[in-house]
Amino acid sequence: MFKRSGTGNYAYMSARVKAKTSKLLKEEDYNKMLMMSVPEISHYISEAGYSKEMNDLGTRHAGIDLLEYATYMNMSKQFRSILESANGELKTMIAAYLTKWDFENLKVVLRGKNYGLTPDMIREDLVIAGSLKEDDIERIISAPSIEDALAIFKSKTGLSVSDEAIHLYKEENVLTRIEDELSIGYYKSVLDSITGKDRATNIFRTYIKYVIDLKNIETIMKFKMENVDGSLAADFFIPGGAQLTDKIFAQANAAPTIEAAFNELQSLKVFEELKTMLSQTPNISLLILTMERFRLKMAIQVSHTYPLSVLPVVVYMIMKEDEVKKIRTIAHGINSGLDRDTIKNLLVI
Amino acid sequence: MATAGTEGLIAIGAGLAVGLAGLGSGLAEKDIGAAAVGAITENPSLFGRAMIFTVLPETIVIFGLVIAIMAIFVM
Repeated sequence: MFKRSGTGNYAYMSARVKAKTSKLLKEEDYNKMLMMSVPEISHYISEAGYSKEMNDLGTRHAGIDLLEYATYMNMSKQFRSILESANGELKTMIAAYLTKWDFENLKVVLRGKNYGLTPDMIREDLVIAGSLKEDDIERIISAPSIEDALAIFKSKTGLSVSDEAIHLYKEENVLTRIEDELSIGYYKSVLDSITGKDRATNIFRTYIKYVIDLKNIETIMKFKMENVDGSLAADFFIPGGAQLTDKIFAQANAAPTIEAAFNELQSLKVFEELKTMLSQTPNISLLILTMERFRLKMAIQVSHTYPLSVLPVVVYMIMKEDEVKKIRTIAHGINSGLDRDTIKNLLVI
Repeated sequence: MATAGTEGLIAIGAGLAVGLAGLGSGLAEKDIGAAAVGAITENPSLFGRAMIFTVLPETIVIFGLVIAIMAIFVM
C-alpha cells in the first residue's frame, strides 16, 4: 500500500494535495451559499481561499463575472502550482491529465476565431490550467489562421488533427471534426502517459478508461435524444474505454429508441447509475449530471488508498474542479432566480 | 578481559550498530521530511507537528547508539 510507484516526489505532492483538499469547501458551505445573494457568495468565497483573485479582479469585473473569473483563476493557479511542484513520472501523468484544459482552451480559441471574436474576448474565456504556458496560448490566439493555431498546438502538446478535418472545416466551416479528433487524441495521450504497472497507477488508468466510457455514452445519448441517425456516430467514438467497446457503441447507436439504447448498455458498470436517470425524463443536462456524480463517486472511493501515488493528486484536481463548478452553478442559479431546491438538484453533492 | 582481536571486532560491531541504524533512519526520514515540507508549504502552522513526525525515526539511531555504548563499555 505504501509502495512508491515509479519516479517522482510522491510524498511531498501527496502531503501538499492532502492539505489543499482539507481546505476545499464542504457540503454545509454550499448549503449556506444557497441562502445567499451573488455579492454575499463572492464575500463568502473570499474568506474561503479566493481572496487574492477576488481582490486582483475586483477592479475590472463585478457580480457574477467577478465570481466566474476569480474561481477559474484560482483553480488555474492551484493546478499550475501542482504541475510545477511535481517531478519525474508523476509530473508526466499530471501534465497529460491537465492537457484537458489546453484542449478546452484551444476549442475556445478556435470557436472564437471562427465567430470573429477579438483576442481580448477570447482571452476572457480561457482557463490557463493546462501544461501550455501563457506565451504559447498567446501565440495560438494571435495565429493568423486556424491551421496555424493547430500547428502551434501540435508543436507544444503533440495533439494533431487530420488534413481531412481541416479540409472539412474549410469546406463547410464546421469545427466538430477537428474537436472530435483532438478529443480522441487527448484521451489517447493520457492513456499513453500512464506507463506504471503498479496498482495505484492501474486505478488511475481504469478511471480514465471509465471517463472515456462516459464520454461515449454521452455521445450515444445525445444522438438518441436529438433523434440523429445513429450510423453517423461511428466517427465520434473514442477508443480505449473500460467496458464500452466499439461493438456495443454501434449496437446502442443502431437502437431505435433511447430505452432500447439503454438496454444495450446493461453490461456496463455505469448502467446502475443511468437506470435512475431513465426513471425520470432523460435530458442532456440530467445525463451530464449523472455522469459527473458517477465520476466523482469513483474518484472519492479511491481518494484514501495508495497515498504515495498519482491518485491523491488527481482526486484533488477532480474535487477542486467540482468545487468551482458548484460555486458557479449556485451563483448562476441565484442570479437567474431559480429556487433553492432546483439549484441543489443541479449540484453534484 | 577482551583481547586486542576481540576489541577490534567490538569496535566494528559498535560502528555497524550506529551506522546501519543511521542509514535506516535516513531512509525513513526521507519521505517523512518531503511530506512534512509539502504540508508546511500549504499550512505553516503544521510546522511543530511536522517536525515531530520528521524526527521520530531518530529513535532508531538512539537504539543503535545504546547498543554501541553497551558493546564498547559493557562487553
